[in-house]
Amino acid sequence: MSTSQPSGEPHRPKKFPTQEQQNNPYLSMFNHFRDELDEHHDRRERVIKASRDITALSKKMIFTVQRAREPFSPLPTSLSKEYETRFKQVQNIISIVSPDLQEISTYRYARQISGGIQEYIEAIAFHHYLTTGKLIPLSVVQQSVKHLVEITPGDYILGIFDLVGEMMRFSITMIATRGGAEKDEKVAKALRDLRELRLEFEGLDTTLGGGSGLLGKEVQKKLGVMKTCVEKVEAAMCGVIVRGSERPRGWIPDLTEVAGGRGGRTDRIDQDE
Amino acid sequence: MSSDNIYAMVDPEIFAAVQEQIERDSQVKEDIREALKKIDKEVRSITSTLSRVHIVSPQHVIELTTTADEGFKRLRDSLQGLINIVKDYPYYKYNGIWSRDIQNVTFLVLFQGWLQRSYAPGNAENSLLTIEEAGGVLGIPVNLKTEDKFHLTIEEYLHAVLSLVEELTRLTTNAVTQHDFLRPQMINRFIKDIHSSFQVLNLKNDSLRRKGDGLKYNVKKVEEVNYDLILRNLIPTGADEGGTEKMEDAKGPSEQQE
Repeated sequence: MSTSQPSGEPHRPKKFPTQEQQNNPYLSMFNHFRDELDEHHDRRERVIKASRDITALSKKMIFTVQRAREPFSPLPTSLSKEYETRFKQVQNIISIVSPDLQEISTYRYARQISGGIQEYIEAIAFHHYLTTGKLIPLSVVQQSVKHLVEITPGDYILGIFDLVGEMMRFSITMIATRGGAEKDEKVAKALRDLRELRLEFEGLDTTLGGGSGLLGKEVQKKLGVMKTCVEKVEAAMCGVIVRGSERPRGWIPDLTEVAGGRGGRTDRIDQDE
Repeated sequence: MSSDNIYAMVDPEIFAAVQEQIERDSQVKEDIREALKKIDKEVRSITSTLSRVHIVSPQHVIELTTTADEGFKRLRDSLQGLINIVKDYPYYKYNGIWSRDIQNVTFLVLFQGWLQRSYAPGNAENSLLTIEEAGGVLGIPVNLKTEDKFHLTIEEYLHAVLSLVEELTRLTTNAVTQHDFLRPQMINRFIKDIHSSFQVLNLKNDSLRRKGDGLKYNVKKVEEVNYDLILRNLIPTGADEGGTEKMEDAKGPSEQQE
C-alpha cells in the first residue's frame, strides 16, 4: 500500500484496482480518512520526538546543576554557561514543536509531550531551587516557555515530585562533603525543605477522580519514591550525627580529600550517581 | 535575595492552587459521567429496539427502524447535555471519557441508516452513512482540525463502522433463519467493500488496528453462509450472478494479503 497515492484513482499501474475496488463506493471516503489519519500520526510522531529530545537535554541541565557546590547562590560561570546553552536548545525545540500543539491539538498530544515537559520542569525547578532556595511557581515555568506550549498543573506537580529526587542527591553529596546539620545551615535548610515538600505533597488529595484523576496513575508511585528520598536524607543526617560523635571535636573526616576537588573537579560526585 | 527568606521554600499558595485544580477537574469528570449515564440509557433502549431486526421478518424492518426515531431524539438531547458540560473545556482534555460512548452512539446511527437503506425497496448501492451524515443525525460537527469544539472524530466513526460489520455478520445468520436470502448477499458485498476499504488505511498499532484485524473473520463467516446458500441453489436470482460472486470469494482473501 503506497503512501504517496493521492486520494481517488491511483495513478501508478503498480497495482491494478480490482473489479472489487472499482465498484467500492466507500473507497474514496477511506482514502480521505487515510490522509487525515496519516497527518495525525505524523504530527504525533513529531511531538514524541520533541518530547524525547527535551527529556535528554533536561537531564543534562540537571547534571550540570548537580555539579554546583555552593547551594542557594548563583551558579559558577562555567556551569551557568553550560546550563544556559542547554536551556536555549530546549527553548528551540519547544518553539519548533509549538505549532503542532496549538488550538485543538493542545490536548490531543498532551500525553505525548507531557514526559518531556515534566523533565523540563524538574530541570528548571532544580536550577531555581539551588540558585534561590525556593520552589519555582507554576507561573514562572509557564513564562519560561513563553506560553508556546501549555503547562498544566498536573505536569507541574509531577515535575516537582521528581525534583525531590534531585534535591535528595544534592543533599546527600552536601552531607558527605560538608558534614551534618549542626555545622552547616545550608544542609539544615535542605533537609527542612525536603520535609516541607513532603508535607505539602502528603496534604494534596490526589485520590480525587481515581486513576483517571488530574495526575493520572503515576502519582501513587511517585509519592512512594518521594517519601523514600526524604527518608534517605534523614538517615544520612542521623548517621553523621551518631558516628560524628565518636570523633574528636573539630576533626572532620571526609573533607581533606574533597577539599581539593571543591572548586571545579566534579568526577568524584558523578561517580556517586 | 536567597538570604532573606532562606527558610520559606514553598509558597503555600502554589499547592493550594493545584489542589483547587484537582478538585475542579474531578468535579468536571463527575459531571461528565453523570451525563454519560443518560446517554447510555438511551443507547440501551435504542439497541434493544434495533436488535429486534434479528427476529422480525424482513418486510417489517423499515417499520421497526422508525420506532427507534423517538429514542434517537432523546439521545440527541442527552448528547446535548454532555456538550453543555464540556463545551468550555478543550475537546481533547476529557474526550477519552466519552469516546467509547460516542462510538456506541454512532454505531446505532449507522445501523439504523444501513437497515433503512438496505431494506428499502430497490435497495441502494451505498448503504453506509458517511461521517458527515452520521454527524448530521447526531447534530454535531465532524473531524474538526483546528476549531476546538465537540465533534465526531474519524477514529470514532471507524470504530462504529467495525461494530456495524460485527452486527451485520450476526444478521447474516439470522436473515437466513427468516428465509431472507437477499440480505446475506448484500451483507457479503458490503463487508467486502469495507474490508478492502480498511486496507487503504495506514493504521498504527492501536485499538482500531486490533479491531480492524478482526474484519477478515467477519468476511469469512459471511462468505461461508453465502457459499452454503449458493451450493444449495437457495439464492434464486440467476445462477450467473451467484457464480461470479463465488469466484470473487475464492480469490478475494489471497489478494488482500499481499
